[in-house]
Amino acid sequence: MALKKTTEKQDPYFIDFPGRVAKVQKAMAAAKIDVYLGSRLRTASWITDAFCPWRTYVVIPKKGLPTVFTFVIDAARVADDSWLDDDHVLGYAPMGGMDQIPLVADFIREELGVKKGRIGVENGLSNYLPEGVLTHFEYQQFEAALAGADLVDAYDIIDKLSLIKDEGTINRFREASRIVDIGHKAVRAALVHGGYKGKTETEIGGIAAHAMRKAGSEWEWSFTGGNEIASGYRTGLAGGACTPASRRRIRKGEPLMVDIHAMFKLGQGDHSHNYLIGKATKRQKWHAQNFVDIVTLTLKTYRAGISPSGLAEKMMNFAEAQGFAEYMVPGFEHGIGMTGDEWRIGINDGPFPFWTNPDHVYLENELIICAMQYACPDENIGFRYENPILIRRKDCEPLSRYPLGVEEIA
Amino acid sequence: MTRYDYLSPEWAVEVRKKLQVDLPAEKMKFITTSMSNIYTNCPDGKVRYLFFKVEKGVFTEVLVGEDDPPAADFRITGDHKLFSMISQAKMKSQRALMTGKLKLRGNMVKALKLASLADRMNAVIATVPTNY
Repeated sequence: MALKKTTEKQDPYFIDFPGRVAKVQKAMAAAKIDVYLGSRLRTASWITDAFCPWRTYVVIPKKGLPTVFTFVIDAARVADDSWLDDDHVLGYAPMGGMDQIPLVADFIREELGVKKGRIGVENGLSNYLPEGVLTHFEYQQFEAALAGADLVDAYDIIDKLSLIKDEGTINRFREASRIVDIGHKAVRAALVHGGYKGKTETEIGGIAAHAMRKAGSEWEWSFTGGNEIASGYRTGLAGGACTPASRRRIRKGEPLMVDIHAMFKLGQGDHSHNYLIGKATKRQKWHAQNFVDIVTLTLKTYRAGISPSGLAEKMMNFAEAQGFAEYMVPGFEHGIGMTGDEWRIGINDGPFPFWTNPDHVYLENELIICAMQYACPDENIGFRYENPILIRRKDCEPLSRYPLGVEEIA
Repeated sequence: MTRYDYLSPEWAVEVRKKLQVDLPAEKMKFITTSMSNIYTNCPDGKVRYLFFKVEKGVFTEVLVGEDDPPAADFRITGDHKLFSMISQAKMKSQRALMTGKLKLRGNMVKALKLASLADRMNAVIATVPTNY
């Protein structure tokens, strides 16, 4: 029996995918693009409603349904998960006429009849490895196979349309965050009353994963090793905010950072909670209070109309006044969207290509991850806060409801 | 015993009869599909097609010709010599595809579902006395 697809409007997770495609096609017409050839993971998720872990090409014609090409071993599953039928999710493989470049190019030329004209591609750059922009080789191969047509950058069509989140997307993120909170409860239960003794970071990651999977999470989605767990000196690595779990054991007298991830229908949960194991020192408590204070203020400050740079300035002024500015790793947020839409906030219009524009002005119903790292390498201590937040007109909605704090665990 | 010239209309009729008898609808999993094999580099220099149509598991059409083949779910293009090897069951069609000797057009996932049936078909076709 096929999985239930979210195609009913009354479903809280409903997304109008045909409507999305129609908007893309309208934008294509305005940009005089005959075919959109998407290759980024974010595009695959946003158009297909299916997780596409293998190299995937999304071909959107001027009119009609998109056709998706993915590695044949996963094509039937993607079709099963997607709102698109199996005539619009095709497999490629290293077989005659079936390898990806000729298959996609022949489809564009012969099935869609586009032998000339403009083909929109997703060129670019990202700090996020699975981004999926066309490689140089792919570009050259498509250029040769589609001789007569011009390949033009068109990623901004998807980026602009996916910036403001619809209700179904927001609800998927809310549910992923609810699941993450379940993971945090399970971790806490495993740590208290001396439960931390003998446990490793990887084990903590697994405890969270088990609880979240039981609650329906599809994946600890972050490419940073799934659940990021750090203890001791690893919590305070200089300028660091990425800690795949190691086999290090949790020790008394040290901090512990639990940064876990859940995925629900391609919506992302991502929340970090921090502990001090054993009786904390006065100095550790001072660091912890600084961290809680700045996170509290940051969450109070987010709203539509502000910018990353404006917020950073306010927060760093606060940290400076309180005497802990040197421990704040620069940056207070990163972008987020359906699986594959990671890191950059907004569209590519900043001073550094394909990085967040620091002067991007937040709009209502943008989703970002509030992401803050406090790190004091000299004292082997650090804390991380991450939480998807929904930007609202006058404030923000933190989607994880897990209580903020740095908990002392005996 | 009558021997038929490969890709002749008489050969096609015999192939259809054989397939209907040896591969009844149940063995063909009651599928409905169609396939055109395009033969390039035939001995006389021409391009030919061999077309199969299966409806609810029954081979309803096996056609040969030189013009454009009928529209089909799958279109497989290859050298005459190679196809004749496949028809004699001396080479598996999957191997020919995987080594790039044949070129497939159509839905790959659906083709894979039919891959084992294609080899069964060729095993039956190989039993038709044929002058290759």
